[in-house]
Amino acid sequence: MTVVDPSQDAIFEAARKRIKRRNRIAPWLLLVPALVIVLIFFGIPTLYMARMSFNLHFDQRLYVPGFTVEHYVNLFSNPLFTNAILTTTVLSLLASSFTVVIGYAFAMLVWLKPAHWRLMFVGLALCPLLISEITIIFGWWMFFPKNGLLSYALLSAGLITNKISLMYTEFAAFVGLVYLTLPYCFFILLSIFDGIDKRLIEASGDLGARPFTTFHEVLLPLTRSGILVAFSQAFIWTMGTYATPSALGPDTLWTMGFLIQDQMLGKQNWPMASALSMVLVLGVAAVMLLTSSLKSKRSSFHV
Amino acid sequence: MKDDTALELDQVRRVYGPVVAVDNVSLAVKRGEFVTLLGPSGSGKTSTLRLVGGQERLHSGVIRINGARIDHLPSYERDTATIFQSGALFPHKTVAENVAYGLRMRKVPKPEMETRIREALDIVQLKGFESRYPSQLSGGQKQRAALARSLAVRPAILLFDEPLSALDLSLRLQLRAEIKRLHDELKFSAIYVTHDQGEAMAMSSRVAVMNHGRIEQIGKPEQIFHHPANEFVYNFIGESCQMRVRVTGSTVTDRTGQHLSLTLQSGLADGEWRLYVRPSRFRLADAAAEAPNRLKAQVQFIEFLGDVYRYHLKAGALEVFADHGGSIGHTVGETIDVGWSTQDMERFQ
Repeated sequence: MTVVDPSQDAIFEAARKRIKRRNRIAPWLLLVPALVIVLIFFGIPTLYMARMSFNLHFDQRLYVPGFTVEHYVNLFSNPLFTNAILTTTVLSLLASSFTVVIGYAFAMLVWLKPAHWRLMFVGLALCPLLISEITIIFGWWMFFPKNGLLSYALLSAGLITNKISLMYTEFAAFVGLVYLTLPYCFFILLSIFDGIDKRLIEASGDLGARPFTTFHEVLLPLTRSGILVAFSQAFIWTMGTYATPSALGPDTLWTMGFLIQDQMLGKQNWPMASALSMVLVLGVAAVMLLTSSLKSKRSSFHV
Repeated sequence: MKDDTALELDQVRRVYGPVVAVDNVSLAVKRGEFVTLLGPSGSGKTSTLRLVGGQERLHSGVIRINGARIDHLPSYERDTATIFQSGALFPHKTVAENVAYGLRMRKVPKPEMETRIREALDIVQLKGFESRYPSQLSGGQKQRAALARSLAVRPAILLFDEPLSALDLSLRLQLRAEIKRLHDELKFSAIYVTHDQGEAMAMSSRVAVMNHGRIEQIGKPEQIFHHPANEFVYNFIGESCQMRVRVTGSTVTDRTGQHLSLTLQSGLADGEWRLYVRPSRFRLADAAAEAPNRLKAQVQFIEFLGDVYRYHLKAGALEVFADHGGSIGHTVGETIDVGWSTQDMERFQ
């Protein structure tokens, strides 16, 4: 015999509501630690920087509290800054695209090779990550100059007759940037390739597709999101980095990173440096939004 | 007749380092025939299939499809279509796009392509699933879609690479019957690789039992089952009990030298023998009294298998199991007669 007790019913109803409420707020509660960390370490500094970019600057003082948009106006009217924005963007686009192409080819090769080759390739790709950017720059300093490795190698191979120096050229800066971001691109793309069933390639060939068609019809669509992620991260990195292009490029190569450093430490103009940084951050964010919108809506494929 | 041969393998050989994966295999598949390569893992059955499909290159030998030599051609120029174990459907394409893929590669005109896609999905009963993605299909539906994709291109020969082994039992049985029905209907030529003898027996026109890269026996399923060519085939096909005995004059002992109460209709020459009997062919207790071959053995334990009881029996070091329809009135620990007729026994020395 079940006796329906209305008070019992109300208790159950209340409990059900409580559970429902808890299920709704639980995800947010779980997010709190990460949210706090992000806010403290990234949110507040960025807000501070945004505020700083509107401060005044005069009398050789780092900054004078106030409100002005003159730095932004200056930034988009002064050729010094507009050129820097353009140069940095072009250099970053070129370097990132090239990095993605090399990283893609390399990752595909490692993925296609039998497993026992893999460790060697992955180890090789890890090497540059173990060395600091500054040390790598010193390495390039021995590679590019007139008496450097590159010149010597080209001479020995008989490709040139006189020693050449590629040091302090846009090309050197470009190579330096590619080298810097290549390992990250490689690992991002390799992880994407690892998620693909290799039988798909066989299936494609089996159905009559030539290797290039297989690449274009099967591999490329399946790695599309990986390409976009790899490109975004390479772009962010090359846009923001300062040491490599400054140390390897010509004196006339004024990237945004270089100018921020110059405004901050050389000209002692913190608001200007902040305004430049804000433009950099917003520009990168815009590119990230763009690439993520290009990602197919079905971003993951489960076989 | 040479004309009705869809696929012909002539002395095909494939080596991986020191391992001979496919050892001079010769095989002919007639048009409309469904030939199964059956064997344990590592027997070279999948390698043989991949040689035909062009996923692997052979070291020597000749492969012909419809009389034309194809072993030098890359996979994409061969008129074969493989159904992979994983299905290998393109995850970024819908079911219809998957089926269309092979047709597009073959430059089939658009109207015909649409008809063929519809037909292919129709016969595998995936009508209405055209715009689904593979991730939205169940395991069985994926394999049906893969089958449709391969059928749509109408290849000279279909290659099945253990397509059902990743599915659960009931689905496996269902799809097995369906593939058989499709074969009866469409009369396609096929090679089917499996390690499941049930599948092999149920579906095939002929079965080739493979071991160590060689074909041990090839024939109709009944032939393989009832007239195994050698000990390997006998062991591999169906269940069987092995009795290892040593014969010296009129005494029969087990391997350890313990005397056995074993009566055989025809005497065996001196030496070590391996005798095989299928568990369903044993007669037990009173029913065994008049059997020409008899062994006294002790009941160890009894398993209920649904249709039959399986009696596990022990005599010396011999362990056999016998299936019996009902209870025999004897229980664990009792010693009973186990009998069998001579034609039910295979012996190897």
